[in-house]
Amino acid sequence: MALVAVRELRAERRQPDGVVAAVTFIAVLVLLESLVVGPQIARDPDVASALFWLALAFATILATMRSFDRELEDDALEGLVALPGGRDALFGGKVLSLTIVLLLVAVVGGVLSLVLLDLRIALPLHLLVVVLLGVLALPPIVVVDVVLALRLRARAALVPILALPVLVPQLVAATRGTSAALSGDAVGALSWAGLLFAFAVVYTVIGLTIVPAAIE
Amino acid sequence: MTDTTIPRGNALPRIRPWLGIAAAASFVVASVMALFWAPTDAVQGDVYRILYVHVPLAWLAYLAFVVVFLASVGWLWTKRPFFDAVAVASAEIGVLFTGLFLVAGSIWAKPTWGVWWTWEPRLVTTAIMFVMYVGYLLLRGLSTDFSRRATRSAVFGIIAVIDVPIVHLSVLWANSLHQLPTVLRAGGSPALDSSMLLTLMVSLGAYTLIYAYFMTARVSLEIARQVRLWTT
Repeated sequence: MALVAVRELRAERRQPDGVVAAVTFIAVLVLLESLVVGPQIARDPDVASALFWLALAFATILATMRSFDRELEDDALEGLVALPGGRDALFGGKVLSLTIVLLLVAVVGGVLSLVLLDLRIALPLHLLVVVLLGVLALPPIVVVDVVLALRLRARAALVPILALPVLVPQLVAATRGTSAALSGDAVGALSWAGLLFAFAVVYTVIGLTIVPAAIE
Repeated sequence: MTDTTIPRGNALPRIRPWLGIAAAASFVVASVMALFWAPTDAVQGDVYRILYVHVPLAWLAYLAFVVVFLASVGWLWTKRPFFDAVAVASAEIGVLFTGLFLVAGSIWAKPTWGVWWTWEPRLVTTAIMFVMYVGYLLLRGLSTDFSRRATRSAVFGIIAVIDVPIVHLSVLWANSLHQLPTVLRAGGSPALDSSMLLTLMVSLGAYTLIYAYFMTARVSLEIARQVRLWTT
């Protein structure tokens, strides 16, 4: 699992198109937000948090699809699957590497949001915990859905259709938690963070249990 | 590709006519009870009678997606095509009933809340469940190889079922305009007049028979399709 993750991160460092696409996407959305709704509304903790997590969800889909595209282009998927414990390692390694990539994207997107929208953080540590757990909760589901749509026509449209409805509870929890941390509600932020942790654990376990069956 | 076995003949066509008769008869009885026998609600008037359609549709939506989940586990466990036939049949019927559930809810909401739709947790989570299973059917439609399609959709069928308890419990977890559970209440007996409760139970039975009838028809069709696929 660790080997797949390290290999993935090396590939991302050599050819960082997944990270670049995700960071550019999130930056464009932050800029568009204040243009579309106006700077006053954009600064509202609920609005800023919602947009940040929606952008991060789409960025996760982009980065995950790019990661699997790279495997398909290099015909590397069959090799990975043929390794002992290959399917589990493929799922776990992808989730691990994507989590690290997304943390980077979240930091860049978060800093951009804070600076451009001039957001005040009431509880910085709580915000850090919510963002960390929110990022942990996204990749398992998206990796599952990208695996399910692998080699299918129209998969660029299919993956968001499959992933976003399943991600709704995580997105709600992450948005509420971030908003609570921005506005100084410590109990709220930690409650939502706990829920995010539960989602991350549940979906990682489900993924490790059933996804190997879906990888051909 | 995973080895699969061609499904053998089944008993579904033999029981289907009987199920059809039972479903039609119970539907007529339930409709008569709902429209004429059950008393008028003291607060909502006759508008509340849509409850006898709306609640059974909600029940069938839940039931259908739980059956998709069980059949998906069955396919992954045994690789018997029968389970895949059950999963696709139940998903299609579940999408149909969830759509009708949303429409019936809207028809009730207009005179009661004054709007056809409101951003309320039960409505939104139900709409999300609907979209989720439309996605399930899309995933099936885009896959061509039988075994891969069955496996991919089974994995998604297992993940998607998590939305069923979320829909049901959303009224308890969030501030909701929607009525709280009146039959399956955590702390007591149903908060419903006995004749209303009886009518509701008859309606639930009738709609469950309709689901069973649709299932036998659709599963038979799917099995026939699978046989044709392997014999050509």
